[in-house]
Amino acid sequence: MTGWHLGDDILRRYVERTDSLAEGASVEQHLLSCEPCRARVSTAAVGVIDFAAVWDRTRDAVEVPRPSVFERLLRAAGLPAHEARLVAVASAFRSAWLIGVITIFAFAALAAGMGQARGMWLFLAVAPVVPCLVVASSYDPWLDPALEPELVTPYPALRLILLRTIAVLAIALPAVVLFGLIVPDKAPFAFLLPAVGFVAVVLAASTWVSPLRAAVVISSVWLAVVWLLATRSGPPGELLQAWAQAGFTLLAVASFVIFLVRRRWLRQVRPWR
Amino acid sequence: MPTASITLRDVGRTFGATQALTGVGLDLKPGITGLLGPNGAGKTTLLRLLATALPPTQGQLSVLGLDPEVPAERTSIRRQLGYLPQEVGFPRGFTAFAFVDYIALLKEWTQPAARHSEVRRVLGLVGLSDLGSKRIRAMSGGQRRRVALAQALLGSPAVLILDEPTTGVDPEQRVTLRTVLAEIARTSVVVLSTHQTEDVAALCERVIVLDRGRVRYDGPVTDLVHQAAGRVWLADEPDPEASVSWRTGTGRYRNVGPRVRDGAEQVEPSLEDAYLLLRGGSPDHEPREEVAS
Repeated sequence: MTGWHLGDDILRRYVERTDSLAEGASVEQHLLSCEPCRARVSTAAVGVIDFAAVWDRTRDAVEVPRPSVFERLLRAAGLPAHEARLVAVASAFRSAWLIGVITIFAFAALAAGMGQARGMWLFLAVAPVVPCLVVASSYDPWLDPALEPELVTPYPALRLILLRTIAVLAIALPAVVLFGLIVPDKAPFAFLLPAVGFVAVVLAASTWVSPLRAAVVISSVWLAVVWLLATRSGPPGELLQAWAQAGFTLLAVASFVIFLVRRRWLRQVRPWR
Repeated sequence: MPTASITLRDVGRTFGATQALTGVGLDLKPGITGLLGPNGAGKTTLLRLLATALPPTQGQLSVLGLDPEVPAERTSIRRQLGYLPQEVGFPRGFTAFAFVDYIALLKEWTQPAARHSEVRRVLGLVGLSDLGSKRIRAMSGGQRRRVALAQALLGSPAVLILDEPTTGVDPEQRVTLRTVLAEIARTSVVVLSTHQTEDVAALCERVIVLDRGRVRYDGPVTDLVHQAAGRVWLADEPDPEASVSWRTGTGRYRNVGPRVRDGAEQVEPSLEDAYLLLRGGSPDHEPREEVAS
């Protein structure tokens, strides 16, 4: 303590942060040892600093959850921040889509190692069912622990389901195509239409049964069909034929129409009927 | 501003062959209404109907003058509704703030600054201001219950439906929550179900007793308590004349029954006494299984 105290002008510049670096350092050095001047800082700051806003920003930094990589991707894709959060917080997206993509990658690698025909069959068996399982898990009531409070909010369940479905497809399909490129021949692209078709079937079926149950049944049927075809013929040429791909397109369109027509019977909102 | 209200006319709900609620007729106005009844009496089913989580299978229900059967009106109701279910699960890894913030998003709080401020307000109301960044998994049962309650309080709803809000909450916090609910009930319809008769006695001006899906009593708490006047007495042994008796902390037996034995020491009845008397306390009133829905 020297008996000298900060002048009003210096204090104002310090509070407004319009002082020079050297002056600011000098003021701080003085404040460390001068109790009366420290008290004057808070008085001078009133009206200059919005303490409530500073406090809110500080609390935001501590409390507001940081957006996940997936959420940032959704925002980058153009989804509004609040909807990106609603999509990304689904339990399924916290791990299921990542596990799904890794699964396909693993099977793609395995398929590549097994050689042309067997490898393609293996990839075709697994790749189309993963997106539909991830979509189903993104809105299955059994996997959503907070379902009941969610159910009675004004946010439309249908919109949430479609957003989550599109998010899965937008992220999973390109990733899987990329990984699928390591598989020989045209197989990586052959699974795309079955995958979209199965997702649409899950949506439609979830107006009768739970989405996860629908996805498991569809996956089982698909695996059985692939197994039958694989044991009957060599390479999976039949699935690459135009007529087969047209069939999957038709399946997707028909299922989506059924889903839209029966949307009020969705499993989530089903109690209300 | 129109007065908030809920009306039920001959409302019933079945689950398959099970009749969970039968012929329920109620008019609910701002204030706190307590719902008492044994397990399986239909309390949770009634609350789910009021919260638009479940439709009635018979009768008519109107919430805030709107018909929940009509999708647009149901959405309007949900904009003014807070609901605490009996059991709330929390997504893995969520903090208290993140969970309430997530529900706030679903309740159309899209502006981040206003939403965060509202989330802090409701966490403050339930005494969790300093625990916003704590993971729910690391919280005690009572703290989790308060997180669940906080999401119901978002936006100061005109209708607040609470299924056992004070379960697991410590006595100090229960007193705080009672103050919060009493304040909300000045303008909102608050319906709460509980097994704690002391919560009903302390909070509610009106009580509804449900038994086997039917309303057994609907009226002021004081009137229900008054019905037990002169029917509660203390004795050194359990009285065979009593419908129900139990040993108290003093070592004496508190007896509740239709007739007091001559010369017995009568005591002031509590709401619990009145409730037990209403239910009869007989073995044929054993709780049924809770109706699953």
